[in-house]
Amino acid sequence: MTMPDDSLLSIEGLTVSYGAVEAVRGIDLTVRRGEIVTLLGANGAGKSSTLNALVGLAPRKAKRMVFAGTDLTGLPPETIVRRGMTLVPEGRRVFSSLTVEENLMLGGAKHAARGNPAQVKADMLERFPILAERLHQKAGSLSGGEQQMLAIGRALMSSPDLLLLDEPSLGLAPQVVDRIFDLIGNLRDRGLTILLVEQNVAQSLEIADRGYVLANGRVELQGSAEALRSSPEIQDAYLGA
Amino acid sequence: MDIFLQQLLNALSLGGTYALLALGLAVVFSIIGLINFAHGELMTVTGYAVCFALIWGLPFPLAVIAGLAVAMTAAFLMERVAFRPVRGASGTTLLLTSFAVSAILRVLFQNLISARPIPVAIPASLSGVVTIGPLHLGMIQLISIIVTLAMLLGLNLFLHRTMAGRAMRAAAEDFAVLRLMGLRANSVVATAFAISGLLAGVAGVLWVAQRGSVDPLMGALPVLKAFIAAIIGGLGSLSGAVAGGFLLGFIEVILQAYLPESLLPYRDAFAILLVIAVLLFRPQGLLARKTLVKL
Amino acid sequence: MKKSKLLLLSTAFVALASAPLMAEDLVIGLATAQTGGLAPYDQPNLAGLQMKIEEINAAGGIAGKFPIKTIIKDTRSDSAQTAMVAQELVDAGAQLIITPCDADPSIAAGMITQGAGIPAISFCATTPTLPLAVGDYMFSNYPADNVQAAMLAAHAIEAGYKTAYILTSPDTAYTLKLPQYFGQVFAAKGGSILGEGTFTMGQQDFGAEVTKIAAMDPKPDVIMTSAYEPDFPAFVRQLRGAGVTTPILGSDGIDSPTTFGLGDLVEGVVFSTAGHATAGSPLEAFNAKWREKTGAAPDTIYIANGYDLGNIIEAAVTAADSLDPAAIREGIANLENLQGVTGPITYKGTNGMPLRSVSLVRIKAGDRDLVIQGQPDPADIPAP
Repeated sequence: MTMPDDSLLSIEGLTVSYGAVEAVRGIDLTVRRGEIVTLLGANGAGKSSTLNALVGLAPRKAKRMVFAGTDLTGLPPETIVRRGMTLVPEGRRVFSSLTVEENLMLGGAKHAARGNPAQVKADMLERFPILAERLHQKAGSLSGGEQQMLAIGRALMSSPDLLLLDEPSLGLAPQVVDRIFDLIGNLRDRGLTILLVEQNVAQSLEIADRGYVLANGRVELQGSAEALRSSPEIQDAYLGA
Repeated sequence: MDIFLQQLLNALSLGGTYALLALGLAVVFSIIGLINFAHGELMTVTGYAVCFALIWGLPFPLAVIAGLAVAMTAAFLMERVAFRPVRGASGTTLLLTSFAVSAILRVLFQNLISARPIPVAIPASLSGVVTIGPLHLGMIQLISIIVTLAMLLGLNLFLHRTMAGRAMRAAAEDFAVLRLMGLRANSVVATAFAISGLLAGVAGVLWVAQRGSVDPLMGALPVLKAFIAAIIGGLGSLSGAVAGGFLLGFIEVILQAYLPESLLPYRDAFAILLVIAVLLFRPQGLLARKTLVKL
Repeated sequence: MKKSKLLLLSTAFVALASAPLMAEDLVIGLATAQTGGLAPYDQPNLAGLQMKIEEINAAGGIAGKFPIKTIIKDTRSDSAQTAMVAQELVDAGAQLIITPCDADPSIAAGMITQGAGIPAISFCATTPTLPLAVGDYMFSNYPADNVQAAMLAAHAIEAGYKTAYILTSPDTAYTLKLPQYFGQVFAAKGGSILGEGTFTMGQQDFGAEVTKIAAMDPKPDVIMTSAYEPDFPAFVRQLRGAGVTTPILGSDGIDSPTTFGLGDLVEGVVFSTAGHATAGSPLEAFNAKWREKTGAAPDTIYIANGYDLGNIIEAAVTAADSLDPAAIREGIANLENLQGVTGPITYKGTNGMPLRSVSLVRIKAGDRDLVIQGQPDPADIPAP
């Protein structure tokens, strides 16, 4: 596979195994700067495992795994995050006993050494006015949509170049889902690169530039969002045409 | 009434020590799922450090500071040498590792220092009595209560007002996600052990001040009590550990005070029965936290 | 020992048959706690015994013809392990076995040694029922609980105390029974026991107990307890901390440097112990000899007690003039008025718990002040 010069993340032959179980069996993946790339597939296809492996939270092996010129092999999650790639995990996983503000502060913890956390936080609250209102509430008391906003906001506090989103719309009411997708589009428009795992195939392909379809830990289909949208497999399996 | 108040004060003093110990266990358990049975040996190490510092001629306050520093260092080393290599292993592996650390340390103390208790010269000023109205309180008991409350307050401030403290609370909830904040797992765990060492050190100094000696096995009973207290409170919950410690102290003192003489030999059995009763109604402990799948 | 002989010795019965034939070394098997909760008692006893054995061997053995060979095994302060070790020692051909300083493991070991017909001596178990539980091959090497209690009770009456409170712990026979024996003798001699409190060993918390004592009306004239470290220091601290100044009687468990380090808290406390070095006494000479050898004064009476165990073995084997275990047993059981460094020792006429001198010592300005030394009136000693 050829590596375009503007690729931010390029992975070859990624496998993820939990003991004897192989969740991801050698996939190639490229994300270019400024893109939204979506990973689609049924439950258990290996989407979440791929994201977790990229940030170092799942046991992984790869022939090649480069992010922004850095070899990711063997790096722990904290180092990967400091290099500019972060994950908003499935199920939001906000620190529920901590306040909204504390969640955001931890998200910006890497700025303790460099950057301007106050500025980042101010930007964040401007973008998420609901979080500004709830600043001193426990994160656990927020609604599902608010928690998702917080999880994304917390991840953005580290000023990432590449944001991995794992099922951000899961379990949310339809109008909230729309807001989340609007937000993802906005983020891309502001220059952020995004790798999105979603069950909501239609909406994902609407905002994505490109996509990969995983099945049983392998890439089954890939292409531009437009091409995928019109492919018969996607039509049959997900879009119910 | 005065007697009851006096017993409450006794319960506060005993419960406070248990709370400190249970908190030390909980701080570590909440983050890496390890019940550190070598926590008691951290108290013993503190005792020996204070003892030798006094023999060297350091004044008592400096000897205490030296003891606390040694406790923190020992906890830190324990993590580095024994627990880091097995981090992420099953709970059983972690538990057995901590038993091994504890057993090895005890044998080392017995063979390298002495099997017999070594006296620690506690200043005479700590033997006094404080009288508050009708209530009498030994100096060390009073200091126990004050130090415990100060430690709880200090730890609370640390956990809520500092970045390292917030990271610890977050780590207790979801260690994997904390790493996604770019915080180093090793330093968070090391901080937890250092705090646990400090708590063990403070409890160790109070414990030694009460008994006036250090012996190689002195950590065994306190760590058992701490374990019970932590279970009552809900393993892994910091406030639960404190609540469990005070409750256990309260149960023990009230039983000792009000059981008829003929039943007194069974006091510990009654205390454990009450603990079981608590767990029947709250199987996860008083202040259980939701357990998360840890990656 | 030659290999062929080791093979022959593989069972106790063969050992019995062959040992006298090959009579040269007295093989003493030591099942002692080098680790665990009994180590603080067994280790100093062992050190004292080893000193005596070195002296004996330097002089060519007991009576010049029986050098001593020791086999030392760690029991880890565990009763089951002690029984296993005892069996190993019997199998290895020991003609005499030393058991730990506590009744429970000694009984466990005694079950083996009694059956094998090999005498066993506990370093310093004080429970008077120990030989009764095992049999005629079991001995101890320390003044029994009831003997100490009788001395203390006689002193209490002498001191004019009319009422007493006893503090016991059901955790060991020593902490439970000794104060109860004291109570029996004290009551038999006209005193009255106002109450019995209890504590859990190692807990170090006496707040509730002390509050009850402080609230007693009338207050007892004296408090008697066999609590020792770490409980005794914690108890005294908390009792005096509650403003209770009642005198305290203790037993030999508190004869340790820790107690003397407690300063004013323990001023006036009277306790029983197995030895007190008066001027010109054999114990004083022993202490000097120990200091010369090790550079430090002995920190516990258990060292001299272990040394006296060597004296007992020497005297018993000399009397037996044989290494036959049954003859050694006879030798021990018939010892009368043996002059040990801790005082006279008699097994003749006892069930295996020796009659030994008990000293009552008063703590005065951090030092020892002898109250009385000797043996109680046999009529005062309560039945075990």
